[in-house]
Amino acid sequence: MIIESLLTGAVQSGTSVLLTVCGETVTERVGVINLGTEGCMAVGALSAYIVCANTGSPWFAVPVACIMGGLMALIHAYFVISRKANQLATGLTLMFLGLGLTAFFGRNYVSVSVTGFTRVKIPLLSDIPIIGDAIFNQDPITYLSYLICPLLCILIYKTRFGLILRGAGEDENVVFAYGHDPIKMRYIGVIMGGMLSALGGAQLSIAYTHTWIEGMTGSRGVIGVALVCIAAWNPAKAFIGAYIFGAAQALQMMLQQQGLEISSFLLMMIPYVLVLIALFITSIRRRQTMPAELKKVFESVT
Amino acid sequence: MRTTKIKKVIAALLASAAALTTGCSSSTKSGSVGVGFIFVGTKDDYGYNQAAYEASVAVEEHFGDQIRVFRSENIPETSEATRVLEQMIQQGATILFPTSYGHLDPALDAAKDNPDCVFFHQGGLKTSENLGTYFGTIWESFYLAGISAGAATESNKLGFITSFAIPQVMLNINAFTLGAKSVNPDVTTTVIFTGDWSDPALQTDAVNSLADGGIDVIATHQDSTKTIVELCESKGIYVCGCHADASELAPTKWLTAPIWNWSELFIDMTQTALDGKFKGSIYDGKYRGGLKEGVVDIAPYGSAVSEDVRAQIDAVKQQMIDGTFFAFEGEIKDRDGNVRIEAGVRPTVDELETCDWFVEGVIGSTD
Amino acid sequence: MSKLKEYLKTLPRRLGKTAAVVGAAVVLFAVFLLCQGVNPLSVYANMIASTLGTSYGIGQVLIKSTPFILIAVGTCVSAKAGLVNVGGEGQFAMGALFSVTAALFIGDSMPSFFGIVLMMLAGMIGGAFWSGLAGVFKVKANMNETLTTLIMNYIAYQIVSYFVFNQLKDPDSFNWPQTSEISESLQLPRIWGKVTIGIVIALLAAVLIWLMISKSKWGYSLRVIGGNANAALHAGINVQKVQMIAMLISGALAGFAGAIEISGVEERLRQTTGVNYGYLGFLAAWMAWNNPATAIFTAVVIGFLSVAGNVLEISSALPSSAIQILMALVLLAILWKGKEKKSA
Repeated sequence: MIIESLLTGAVQSGTSVLLTVCGETVTERVGVINLGTEGCMAVGALSAYIVCANTGSPWFAVPVACIMGGLMALIHAYFVISRKANQLATGLTLMFLGLGLTAFFGRNYVSVSVTGFTRVKIPLLSDIPIIGDAIFNQDPITYLSYLICPLLCILIYKTRFGLILRGAGEDENVVFAYGHDPIKMRYIGVIMGGMLSALGGAQLSIAYTHTWIEGMTGSRGVIGVALVCIAAWNPAKAFIGAYIFGAAQALQMMLQQQGLEISSFLLMMIPYVLVLIALFITSIRRRQTMPAELKKVFESVT
Repeated sequence: MRTTKIKKVIAALLASAAALTTGCSSSTKSGSVGVGFIFVGTKDDYGYNQAAYEASVAVEEHFGDQIRVFRSENIPETSEATRVLEQMIQQGATILFPTSYGHLDPALDAAKDNPDCVFFHQGGLKTSENLGTYFGTIWESFYLAGISAGAATESNKLGFITSFAIPQVMLNINAFTLGAKSVNPDVTTTVIFTGDWSDPALQTDAVNSLADGGIDVIATHQDSTKTIVELCESKGIYVCGCHADASELAPTKWLTAPIWNWSELFIDMTQTALDGKFKGSIYDGKYRGGLKEGVVDIAPYGSAVSEDVRAQIDAVKQQMIDGTFFAFEGEIKDRDGNVRIEAGVRPTVDELETCDWFVEGVIGSTD
Repeated sequence: MSKLKEYLKTLPRRLGKTAAVVGAAVVLFAVFLLCQGVNPLSVYANMIASTLGTSYGIGQVLIKSTPFILIAVGTCVSAKAGLVNVGGEGQFAMGALFSVTAALFIGDSMPSFFGIVLMMLAGMIGGAFWSGLAGVFKVKANMNETLTTLIMNYIAYQIVSYFVFNQLKDPDSFNWPQTSEISESLQLPRIWGKVTIGIVIALLAAVLIWLMISKSKWGYSLRVIGGNANAALHAGINVQKVQMIAMLISGALAGFAGAIEISGVEERLRQTTGVNYGYLGFLAAWMAWNNPATAIFTAVVIGFLSVAGNVLEISSALPSSAIQILMALVLLAILWKGKEKKSA
């Protein structure tokens, strides 16, 4: 029972983070860091909610959220790629912009209800002991995330497009060799990242909580950026950090529900401490996987 | 040649800016009195802040042109609050409503430097020459909600979702539990602190976790309670809301909710200050209004509350209004068995609102 | 010196350019205000008049900018060593926690000067402890410092909360979670209205750090590492040691900001003391491409926008999110000009 609810919690509250990690992974693969994913997520969460409330169709809300998140990311792309503005500062500003805009335009939706996505049980698979209910009794966006991770892997590692995409972040010559423009590839990477983060935001608002309130992304976008490191810039491993974070949030509630009388502040540290431990474990193997162009971002300090 | 041109432009700009500034400041001195409200959260939070915000709108509508209203939301409970209050005073406000408990010390600082202004602080226990505090005894409503929860539960396990273990919250948890125990002595209340006043994802995690523990009634002290109420309906858990009537979100599982009616009180306080009668008035000190004064109430019952229970709650409510019943009248012990309120004693406002202990039956950390 | 001359010579032109794009952002926001039925001219006039037009307003901008300056300069130091320290938030919080603990312990027991110095030291130790941990993680376990410092912000927030709810809870505040007020003798002396010497200290620290980075031998090795860590290794520089020291200084400055905030402004610690200061300071540094001198300017711009933002909200009756939108637009405008030089 406890393990089952922990797994369910991991998947449920981890999915929004997972999608953000995937998105940021693509962004960083082309050599750009976007600290503004939190803003993209908030924009995705609100636009999905607005569409859902006005049309009643969550399936229509998903593409709109992705487009809006993509537009936010486009601002970032334009500033850092075309204007060569500082990436970290632009990203952080974009976060404030996204949070501000969504707070402003979302005011009238706080007390509006939407049906959104509900959990869909997959027959047979959901009867598998222990993991069945956690994995196969989820909302459609979560199922989508199961597909997105492997698809991204194939895209990045197995296709020509992926090779060129990685080239934009590692070695521009590869991109030129294939007759493409690295700038264009970077734009694509950043926008894809924004779209995936926005999808994560949509999961939060129309699939998981069926609520809009300003600031509801609650730093999940920021955490997502941090977790890319644990995933070693590999979408296949994105779920590790995201699900650890989700499970830890569920665990902290569970311990309280079990009547454990430890200060809630100490319990609230659990997710963050676990992330640090996970980073420790993945870091001591000392793999240098950070895309070369990304390193330049951190080094271009003067 | 060019520089002189630039100079001319700058001069023109400065002149127009000066004209605007003076024009503006003269318009702010148009005779009406400024009334300022600051909120710790957003005014559309569907909760605590919205309740106070709606009262500020009532004040604005009631006094019309007599006053000008300033509002500022998301003001942290730090010296930032002092600054915003002072900025409002510079814009012409003389009556100020800092509406969160944590705004107290910053407001006291501002009150000290602005003796001509009157401050009404929501919930504070410290006062000064020109700062009085007001609050509603919302715990009375929580007690009544507790009765509905105690009557509804089958597993005898109640849940309570909130943010932090601050005195107001702990008092409400105690009242809720005492209310439930008055009709069902076997109940326990499991408290989950989320560390946030309105994070819907954490609220969802909390409800899921309580549901796993076999809890079948959930009450809450959060700002936006929509997520919790809707989720309880879909999971088949009875729910007591908070701050707002959200019964339409849980047609079959809604019990009731403690709610605020600040409007009349706010209007009366503003009138008192406008008349220059703050000194010596009931608001010069610690004013507390309750069910009797209509400052707090409970939301309409849901269909899940039976006629018998409704009658029972209404009867207790009437006794509270008449003053024949006081939920925290002793003897009341904390969960470690220590007597906190002596037999027959009705604690003072200060004693109640500094609560840092749980009554028997509450499961949860006190910090 | 010639560099400085050149800097000053090109300053008006660069400032002019910046002013033009910022003007564009201001106009854009004016359109937004018009759409909301607010008269942008009177709102802008009111914002400027009550922020830069009064000594109170100017004082508040200085007070607000002080922590941003210190955190920004701290961020610059670590950035020069090739480290991205996003932990100003947590280091500020730990600095505030350490300094308030020291202050409550010291009380009235010693002369004001020594008490304040001790308090500031405690704050620096608190900040340096928190950034130092991230530094150790970096050099000993190869853990990416961007991630560790970021995650540790959240942990620091919980630690501060834990203490203000428990050991440090003020016995005179009716169980409200905040620490007692620090003794009056430990409050920074005021120099002008409500402005304390905190701003002077912050500016001095910024100049000192700027000199250290650009003139000292240590600063040279710092810049070599930041340019290329491998080259620095070949040049016989102890990269790990220099990076560790940079991290400690960076955190100490953020912790110092926390101590100044407690001693000069807040006078007690609460859960939400200084929330977002770390991120805004970080923003100021990276907007200035980690040049401590320029960072002072960007920090003051952010301070001005925060203070004027409240006037915007009060006089326009728009929700507070309008402040965030304005701030983001202005900052994007400043970022717009991108990276124009590769000297420094």
